[in-house]
Amino acid sequence: MAVLKINGQAMDFADDLPGNLAGLLEHLKVDEATVVAEIDGDIISRSDFVETVLADGQKIELIKLVGGG
Amino acid sequence: MSKLTRQQFDEMLIERHGADVHKKLNASTVGIAGLGGLGSNVAAALVRMGVGRLIITDFDIVEPSNLNRQNYRLDQLGCDKVQATIENLKSINPYVRIDGFLTKLTGDNIPEIFRPCDIVAECFDSARAKQMLIETVLTKMEDTIVVAASGLAGYGRSNAIKTEKINSRLIITGDRQSGIEKGLPLFAPRVTIAAGHQGNAIIELIIDGF
Repeated sequence: MAVLKINGQAMDFADDLPGNLAGLLEHLKVDEATVVAEIDGDIISRSDFVETVLADGQKIELIKLVGGG
Repeated sequence: MSKLTRQQFDEMLIERHGADVHKKLNASTVGIAGLGGLGSNVAAALVRMGVGRLIITDFDIVEPSNLNRQNYRLDQLGCDKVQATIENLKSINPYVRIDGFLTKLTGDNIPEIFRPCDIVAECFDSARAKQMLIETVLTKMEDTIVVAASGLAGYGRSNAIKTEKINSRLIITGDRQSGIEKGLPLFAPRVTIAAGHQGNAIIELIIDGF
């Protein structure tokens, strides 16, 4: 059992914690091209999403952007 | 033709804003990433306030479809937005220092172009470009604050547009959901409200500190 706190909400992942940040975004159906991700206070570059391994208890902020300007 | 000398212009600003505020504004440098509906309006507000230096960037030209919300004139169609913006800003306050870059911003050139900036205003149209700018400044420019905008399409719902402090170096204005991806059009008043939030957040950061 693993728990991630995503945008303030605890999410349980029984045995299927997505292995990395890219997997989590896919699971949540979040477009990785339009989200700024922060894990435990550190901004993760988009190019590092695949190699960023997730661990139980992390606080993840997903800052989604929409177009228009 | 300027009818006020630099000294007279400074005196006017000091009279309006107070000497302390004027000094802080005059000493600050703000970057504007994108000169569309957000950037052209944010820049105008900052120049009126007497922000000392702006670094403005855009790779595009003024097109007819811009005129419904962006701070350009009919006679500027076809001009590049950097030159048109410099012309407009100088006609408001000729004494501001403006560095213009007619270029497409990337993760590689952003730290170099915006190096002198205390604050960068994210004023792009596309969500991908917004992501790229925010990520780049936060990961590669450790002393710089980003004031971004997300969710400003459509009309009405003025009070849904907010200024939110996301972390110690990122502020986002907008309602966070009204995007062009939903097919919503971009209208002058609502874009300008978000730009006003950005300008206001930037002024607050300059006056009250980070």
